[in-house]
Amino acid sequence: MKKILTNFNEANNQHIYNMRHKQKVVDHKTALNKEYDAVIVGSGISGSIVAKELSQKGYSVLILEAGPGKDLTISGYEKYINQFYSAVSKDNNAPYKRNPNAPMPRSVDVKKLEPGKPNTDSYLVQNGPFISDFTYSRVVGGTTMHFESKTPRMLPEDFNILTRYGHGLDWPMEYEDLMPYYRKAEFEMGVSGDVSSQTFSNEKAYEDDYVFPMLEMPPSYLDQCVAKDLDGTEINVAGETKTLKIRTFPQGRNGIPNNDYKKFNNGELFKPVGAVSEHQAEEGERCQGNNNCTPICPVQAKYDARKTLAKALENGGVDILPQTVASRVVIDPVTQKVSAIVYKSYEDINSEKHTTGTITANLFILAANAVENARLMLASGLNGSSDLMGRNLMDHPYILTWALLPEVAGTTRGTICTSGISDIRNGDFRKEQAAFAVDIHNDGWGWATGSPNTNLEDIVDNKNKFGKELRNELVHQISKQLLLANMVEMMPEPSNRITVDPKYVDRLGNPRPIVTMHLPEYTMKGIAFARQMSRQIFQRLGAEDYSTYSTEDYGYVEYKGEGYAIRGGNHLAGTHVMGTDPSNSVVDANQKSWDHSNLYLVGAGSMPTIGSSNTTLTMAALCFKSIDAMVNDLKELQASKQTSKQL
Amino acid sequence: MQLHQVETEHLHPIETVDDLKFYLYTAIQLEHATIPPYLTAMYSIHPGTNKDVYDLIRVVVVEEMLHLTLAANLMNAIGGIPDLTGEGFVPSYPTYLPNGETDFKVGLGKFSEETIDTFLNIERPPLPTDSLKGGSKHSFGLTNTKRSRKLLIPAFKSADGDELHFYSIGEFYRAIGDGITKLTQELGEENVFTGDPSKQITPEYYYSGGGEIIPIYNEEDALAAIRLISEQGEGHDGGIFDYEGELSHYYRFQQIKLGQYYHEGDEPNAPSGGPLAIDWDSVYPIQSNPRITDYPEGSELKTAAMDFNIFYKNFLEQLTIALNGQPDQLISAVGGMFRIKEMSYQLMRNPISDDNENTGAPTFEIDAIS
Amino acid sequence: METYQENLNVFLDLSVVLTDFSSYELQGTGQLEAYYSTIIDVIGESNMVEVLDAFTLAKTNANGNETELEKQIRIQLLSNDKLGPITRNIIKMWFIGNWYQLPNIWRETYGAYEKDETFVVSAIAYTEGLLWPTIGSHPPGAKAPGYATWIDAPQISKV
Ligand SMILES: Cc1cc2nc3c(=O)[nH]c(=O)nc-3n(C[C@H](O)[C@H](O)[C@H](O)COP(=O)(O)OP(=O)(O)OC[C@H]3O[C@@H](n4cnc5c(N)ncnc54)[C@H](O)[C@@H]3O)c2cc1C
Ligand code: SF4
Repeated sequence: MKKILTNFNEANNQHIYNMRHKQKVVDHKTALNKEYDAVIVGSGISGSIVAKELSQKGYSVLILEAGPGKDLTISGYEKYINQFYSAVSKDNNAPYKRNPNAPMPRSVDVKKLEPGKPNTDSYLVQNGPFISDFTYSRVVGGTTMHFESKTPRMLPEDFNILTRYGHGLDWPMEYEDLMPYYRKAEFEMGVSGDVSSQTFSNEKAYEDDYVFPMLEMPPSYLDQCVAKDLDGTEINVAGETKTLKIRTFPQGRNGIPNNDYKKFNNGELFKPVGAVSEHQAEEGERCQGNNNCTPICPVQAKYDARKTLAKALENGGVDILPQTVASRVVIDPVTQKVSAIVYKSYEDINSEKHTTGTITANLFILAANAVENARLMLASGLNGSSDLMGRNLMDHPYILTWALLPEVAGTTRGTICTSGISDIRNGDFRKEQAAFAVDIHNDGWGWATGSPNTNLEDIVDNKNKFGKELRNELVHQISKQLLLANMVEMMPEPSNRITVDPKYVDRLGNPRPIVTMHLPEYTMKGIAFARQMSRQIFQRLGAEDYSTYSTEDYGYVEYKGEGYAIRGGNHLAGTHVMGTDPSNSVVDANQKSWDHSNLYLVGAGSMPTIGSSNTTLTMAALCFKSIDAMVNDLKELQASKQTSKQL
Repeated sequence: MQLHQVETEHLHPIETVDDLKFYLYTAIQLEHATIPPYLTAMYSIHPGTNKDVYDLIRVVVVEEMLHLTLAANLMNAIGGIPDLTGEGFVPSYPTYLPNGETDFKVGLGKFSEETIDTFLNIERPPLPTDSLKGGSKHSFGLTNTKRSRKLLIPAFKSADGDELHFYSIGEFYRAIGDGITKLTQELGEENVFTGDPSKQITPEYYYSGGGEIIPIYNEEDALAAIRLISEQGEGHDGGIFDYEGELSHYYRFQQIKLGQYYHEGDEPNAPSGGPLAIDWDSVYPIQSNPRITDYPEGSELKTAAMDFNIFYKNFLEQLTIALNGQPDQLISAVGGMFRIKEMSYQLMRNPISDDNENTGAPTFEIDAIS
Repeated sequence: METYQENLNVFLDLSVVLTDFSSYELQGTGQLEAYYSTIIDVIGESNMVEVLDAFTLAKTNANGNETELEKQIRIQLLSNDKLGPITRNIIKMWFIGNWYQLPNIWRETYGAYEKDETFVVSAIAYTEGLLWPTIGSHPPGAKAPGYATWIDAPQISKV
C-alpha cells in the first residue's frame, strides 16, 4: 500500500494545477494589528509575482488592492462573464461594473479633444495633443484579467537601442542578464509557442534547445489563408529588403505541454494551471477557442494574475485587503525612507463612504501599473530628485488596416490572435523609423468597425436584406474579414507624461491621472510605413481594402498629408524609468527607488524602452529579477531593527 | 472492431488475463453508462439557473470521463483493445445497475429529486468491511439476490446456484485490483503488462480539472489508477473525502439532496457548509427515457434526434480511435462534447408536438443506427 | 392563453421567414418567448399584434408562393413606416440578441416608449444569437468549439 501511495504523489505532480486557494482576504483591523515585512500596492501580475516570491522565502506580505476581490471564486468570475454577455458595449472593461471609488479608463468614454481645453469628464484627464483610448483594470488580478496574453520577449537589440540606432534609451542591463528571468516568466505565465519561429533577432535570444512550456497555438484557418499567398513577399524598408513570413506568437494560455520542455523543468512535463477557485471546480482547461481572450476568457485557459496570486495566498504568508486604495506614500523626513502608506477603503462601490488608515512595513512595493504608480507618487508630492516621475510615458500606438479577402477564411474563430508578421521588428532601418509587429486578428474587424454588430445593422437596415439573402450577406461580409493590427514602437520622451492636479480628483478625493502625449516623428514614420505595407499585402492577396480613418475619430492624426486613426496599445511604460544613476532615472536596475531606500516601483513603468514587444512578459521577468535585491534589503532592514532594539 | 468477448453471462473471479480484459471491458462500459444520464439531467437545467447544481454534476461527469480514460489505459496496458463501438456498449435506458438487495433503474431524465436519488444509488459507497456477507474468499461486497434482468455488471453464480452481485461500483474495482495483483504474482509483471506503451493516453493529451491521467506501464500504475477511480467515486477509507481532500461523488450529490454544502471536517450525512440554491422548476420538461419512435413522424425533432445519435456514435468511434494508438485525436474527440451540449439543448427546447407538454431529449439509441 | 399561444405561433412563423432558420432551430435557441415578450414589454401588445396581422395578411396574399411571400413581406411589413422598424428589430434581435432603440422618426410619430432603448435582451440571448451559426462560428466568450478547431475551414451551411 505504501508503494502505491508514493506512486500517487508522483502521479499527482502531473495533475493540472487546480488553483484551490485558502481565503486570505483579511479585514482592516486584523491587518493593522499585524506586522508585515512588505506591503505591496496592487494585485496585478507585478504585485502577485513579488508577493508569491517573497512569501515563499518566508516573508509576510500584505497586498492593498483598490478594486473588488470577488473574482477569486468561480461564481464571482462567472458574474464577470454574465456582466460581459449582457453589456451592450463589449469593450475591454465590459465585464466590470463601474466603480467610482477606484475608477478605470474605458475606451467608450474617450472623446475627441476640443482645441485648447483638456478632456476632463472621465477618469483619465487627457491633455492631448494625441488622445489615446488606452485602458487598464482595477480589480483583483489587475489588467491581466482582460489582457490578450501575447507573450513575445524583447529582442537583444532592444536593450541598447540608443548606442546601436541612436534612438531611445539604453537599459542598465543586457538582454543576457534578463534571459534566466524570461524563462521564469514563461513558466509562470504558461507560455505556448514555437521558439524555432522566433528568428528575427540577429543575436542569440534563447538557450540552446530551449522550448516553451507548451506547443504553439496552431495557426488559424485565417492565418493559413493569408500565409499561402503572402509568405515570401519582399518589402523594402528604408533601403533594407525584408521577406515576410506568417509566424505564430508565443502566448500565455493552456495548450499541449511540450515534452522537450522537461529538460528545463527538472525532468517534468509542464503542468498547466487551471481555474482559480475556493471550491473544486474542474475548470481551466486547455484553450477551447472562445475567441474572447480580451476581455474575458470564460474557461480561464488564459493566464491571468489571479493564478499567481492564488499560489501566493495558498502558501500562507500573504494577506490581501481588497477595496483598499493606496492614497498617499508617507516619507520620513530624516531617513527619506517610506514610513507608511495611507489608504482609503470602501465597503460598497455604490457609495462614497470610506475609512482612512495607515499601514506600515519594512519594505514597500508599488505595483499599481505604470500610470497608477506615477499617479500615486505624484499625488504624494514625490516627483523624484530627477524630476522623471511620470515622464517618458510610452505605449504602443496601433494603426489598424482592414480588408475583405477573396475567399471565406473563417474569421471569428480561434484565439484573438494566433499569428502575424514579425519581420519588421528588427533591422538597421530602426535608425530611421520605428519597428512594428503585425497581428492578424482572428476576431475580424471588430476593433476597427464594431463588426459583426455593425455588419448586421448595415445588412438589415441599409441593404434591406432578410432571410436567405441576409444569411449569405453575413457570411460574405464577416467570414472574409482580415484585420491587421500594426503595433508600432514608441520611444521615451520626457514631455510625454502623467501629472496630477488637485483640480481633478475621483470620488474618494484621490487625484486622477492627467495624460499629456504626442506621437514622435520616429513613430509616425513607422505608422505611415505600416499603413503602406498593408496596402502591399492587400494587393498581393487580392483583398479589398476598406480601411478609412475619419477626421472625427478621437485618435485621428495627420502625417505628411495622410490621416490615421490611432488606437492605444495598453502597454503603458516608462513612468518610473530605470537607469544607471539617480540623475537619469527613478529606479535602479532592480526597480529600487534611488530616493527612498525601502521603496520599489515595479512593473512596466521601470522599462526604458518597449521595442515591439507586448510588455507583460518582460515586466514579469523584471519582477523575478528584483526579488534577490528585495530579500537583501529585507535582511538588512531586519538586522538594523534588531540592533536598534538591542541598543 | 471486434472485442474478445467472454462467452458466459456470468462473471467468475479473475483467473486469466482474458478474464481481466472482460472485467475491464465492463468497467469502460460502466463508466460510460453513467454519462448519458448525468448529461441529460445537467442539460435539462435552464442555462444560467441552478449554477450550484450544474457545477456539481459537471464535476462528476468530468471525473467519469477521466475514469473511462483510465480504464482504457488499463485495458491498453494489458494488451487489450478498448472498444466503445460494439453492440450493446451503450445500454438501452432505463438500465439496471447493481445495488444490493434492490434493483434500481438508471434512466434518462430531467433534473429532479427522483433523478438525484438515482444518482445517489449509482455512486453509493461500499458496504463497511464488517458487514460483508458470506465468508468465502470472493465474497467481497457481494450480495445475494434473485435477478433476472440483463445487468451491466454480470452476476456471479455461486456453487449453490445463487446470483451474487457487487454491492457497489467500488467493490467491482476492488475485484479488478485483486485480479491484477494475483495475475502479476502468478505470471510475472512483464507477462501481464504486455500492451504497447505508445497507446497510453498521457498528460499532454488529457488534462482537465478532474484529476490526473495516469499512464499505465506496470502493476503499481494500475493500482494507482484503480485507487483514483474508486476514491473519486466513493471517498477514502469510508470517509466522505478522497485522498486529495475532494468530496466523493456520492456526497457531492447528497449536497443537492440536502440543499447544503459539505465543509472540511464534516461527518457523513451532516453537511455544515453554506446553502445550495436550487430551483427545481427551472428545468426543461423533457420526456423521460425518450425513444425516436416517440417523436412524430416527419418532424424536425425526430430528424434532429436521429442526427444526435449519429453524432454520438461518431463521437464514440473517434474516442475509440484515439484510445487505440492515436492519443492526439483525443483532443478533437473531446471537443465534440461541445456539439453534444448544443444539440441536447435544441432537442430539449422543442415540444414533442402541439398537444404534448413534454419536450424532446437525446435518446442515446446508438445500436439502432445502421 | 389560447390567443397567447396562437400569437406566439404566428410570431414563430414570421421569424422563420425573416431569419431563414427553421422553427426547430428557432425554438432550439430557447428565446422565442423571451423575444416575443420583450417586444410587448417595450412597445406594447397592440403594436405586436399589428405586426402579426400584417404578416398573416402577407401570407394570405402570397397564397403559398414563396417569391410572392417575400414581396408581400416587403409590402406589408418592411416598407411600412410603422411596422418596418419593428420588423427589422425582430430580425436583429434573433441574430444578435439585442433590442435596438427604434429610429427617432418612429419615436416621434408613434411614441417614445420608456423602455425603448438599446439593450441586450439577456445574457443567454447574447449567446443564442443566430449570427454565429450562420457564419459557422460561435459567440465570443461562449460555446467554444474546442482546442485547435480553428485550424479547419469553417462549416457554413449553404442556404
Ligand atoms: C486590452 C488589453 C490587452 C492587452 N494585451 C496584452 C498582451 O497581449 N500582452 C502583454 O504583454 N500585455 C498586454 N496588455 C498589457 C497588460 O495587461 C499589462 O501590461 C499588465 O497587466 C500590467 O500588469 P501590472 O501588474 O503591472 O499592472 P495592473 O495589471 O494594471 O495591476 C495593477 C493593480 O493595482 C491596483 N491598483 C491601482 N491603483 C491602486 C491603488 N492606488 N491602490 C491599490 N491598488 C491599486 C489595480 O486595481 C490593479 O489590480 C494588454 C492590456 C489591455 C488593456
Ligand atoms: S481563445 Fe477562448 S478559451 Fe482560449 S484563451 Fe481565449 S478566451 Fe480562453
